Amino acid sequence: MGKKGVPEWLNSSIWSSSTSSSAATVAAASHPADRSPRSLPPPKPEPPVQAVIPEPPPSPRPAPPPPPPPREAPRPSSGTLSGDPNPSRLSEEDVSRQSQLLSEVYTHSLYCWMLPLQFFHGYDLLTGVKMCAQLSKKVINIEELRRLASQGIPDGAGIRSTIWKLLLGYLPRNRELWGQELDRKRVQYNDFREEFLVNPFFSASQSEVARRMEESCCQKNEELGSGGHGFLTRSGITHDEHPLSLGKTSVWNQFFKDAEIIEQIDRDVKRTHPDMQFFNGDSSFAVSNQASTCLDTRRHQEYAEADAFFCFVELLSAFRDNFCQKLDNSVVGIRSTISKLSELLKKHDEELWRHLEVTTKVNPQFYAFRWITLLLTQEFNFADSLHIWDTLLSDPEGPQETLLRICCAMLILVRRRLLAGDFTSNLKLLQNYPSTNISHLLYVANKLRGSSAG
Amino acid sequence: MAHRVDHEYDYLFKIVLIGDSGVGKSNILSRFTRNEFSLDSKSTIGVEFATKTLQIEAKTVKAQIWDTAGQERYRAITSAYYRGAVGALLVYDITKKQTFDNVQRWLRELRDHADSNIVIMMAGNKSDLTHLRAVSENDGQEFAEKEGLSFLETSALESHNVEKAFQTVLTEIYHIINKKALAAQEAARNSGPPGQGTTIHVVDSSDAGSSKSSCCSS
Repeated sequence: MGKKGVPEWLNSSIWSSSTSSSAATVAAASHPADRSPRSLPPPKPEPPVQAVIPEPPPSPRPAPPPPPPPREAPRPSSGTLSGDPNPSRLSEEDVSRQSQLLSEVYTHSLYCWMLPLQFFHGYDLLTGVKMCAQLSKKVINIEELRRLASQGIPDGAGIRSTIWKLLLGYLPRNRELWGQELDRKRVQYNDFREEFLVNPFFSASQSEVARRMEESCCQKNEELGSGGHGFLTRSGITHDEHPLSLGKTSVWNQFFKDAEIIEQIDRDVKRTHPDMQFFNGDSSFAVSNQASTCLDTRRHQEYAEADAFFCFVELLSAFRDNFCQKLDNSVVGIRSTISKLSELLKKHDEELWRHLEVTTKVNPQFYAFRWITLLLTQEFNFADSLHIWDTLLSDPEGPQETLLRICCAMLILVRRRLLAGDFTSNLKLLQNYPSTNISHLLYVANKLRGSSAG
Repeated sequence: MAHRVDHEYDYLFKIVLIGDSGVGKSNILSRFTRNEFSLDSKSTIGVEFATKTLQIEAKTVKAQIWDTAGQERYRAITSAYYRGAVGALLVYDITKKQTFDNVQRWLRELRDHADSNIVIMMAGNKSDLTHLRAVSENDGQEFAEKEGLSFLETSALESHNVEKAFQTVLTEIYHIINKKALAAQEAARNSGPPGQGTTIHVVDSSDAGSSKSSCCSS
């Protein structure tokens, strides 16, 4: 076995021509504090994993990618699926520096909020001014912000991201607390990643495997001290901890399972809006773009993942029950939400309701399931979806009630066509909703207020 | 508009497209109904619906096709979509063994929720990806024979066998319907004129006075 204290197969030439890099080195780089120098013989090996298998390690299954090769540099390339949920790029130094920057930007730069105004026109300008004024207050009046935002947040200059964070409760009302709160969340996000994204290579130093292995290795080293020639015996390794293991508790098995899920998510994300650069994979565009943007934006981009995660959590908390299969038949699950839409329609337009559900037998499940679970993002183009979401997030009645009102308004807006249609044409119309004036749609939805069914 | 459409066909057959997520169901549908194919089509949420009218043995048949979501999450919801289906296209991906292994589960799903006489065609899709093949055509064929299904390998990308798969299912359904219709006519003819072979009991009217009623036993 090599001197590095890594599994023999990791040094195999199939991974790399150099034997100097190793997963252990990478791990060491990210946790400098709890590592001892690498060069001391005999090595106190801290391998992330010791494989029981003799080399080379052929990938056990055809589907999952082979274990990623050890990285050439301590700073791994970002954004790859299989190998790099690298959580620990944030050193303490970084954190404090970021924190400082944050408070600087957030507490002093009223100018920064006024800057975007150059992008607004007409009505947008007035709303934009009011919103910026609100955002620049020391303690933000959320009710006022809701009122303004429900009429649509002007596109163009990045105030939407801040307003959505406020509406979702991710940012506190008091601006002075923003920097602190964001820091806390971003660190917390990194902790989540470390905890939940199993990476047998990278976070090995913290994993149970590593702990167990270090224990057994210490023993071995003591034994070896008398007559050893540097070889590690293989007996100390738990049977479950190797890449071929199918054991349920195996870190490796979990790792491969996660990789499959992540791959699926990645595929779905890429095809969500294939026409949009943002969703469409190749990050080189994004990277080059970053270079030209201002510091503030760049920092937000760096933490976009963490911020998006928590915003997503906040958002889903309002719709969670629709996604729980166990609640499908309960009074809070997706079926009951769809029934509420149906009741709402019956209440506001009984003729249309009767024609749709009784005469042409269009079960609202056939179209509203997607409307509701995807919050209308697949029914409209991206820009229109943003406007709808401005209203969803800001309406004081809450996002679900608001969503149902908008869905009901969608039906009412095409009522003439629906009343003339049969089952086939109605279902086709509702599954391919025609593009429409969103402001008018939201206006109609607003008129249905105060009469929510159920 | 609706009324005109209503009368433009002789038969309306409901077909469901089922199979694991990502095997290409939506592309099979779009190839068949619109002659379109998209490598990055969005994953289906809930159900999508399309129709196509075609000729089968001189009759106009309108196929109403329900493209269901393959993901496990939607099973409870999608079961409603099987109601009234007379045909099913059960799709797997020839490059993913798992999707072929799951065909058995989909058959169970059909048995649980669909009509027992439903006509099933199994389609091994993505046959253009020969270099990635993980399920041999022979395995597909054998399985189909064992389960009494029709079978074809298809490629929505190359437009290979897609039309034929639907045509086969629809023709088979048409034959079954025809046979049933004939049988029903036959049965109607055999039942003969009324009165024949039935016994009429004349109730003893000694106590009933004026009301002379009779009733037929069934």
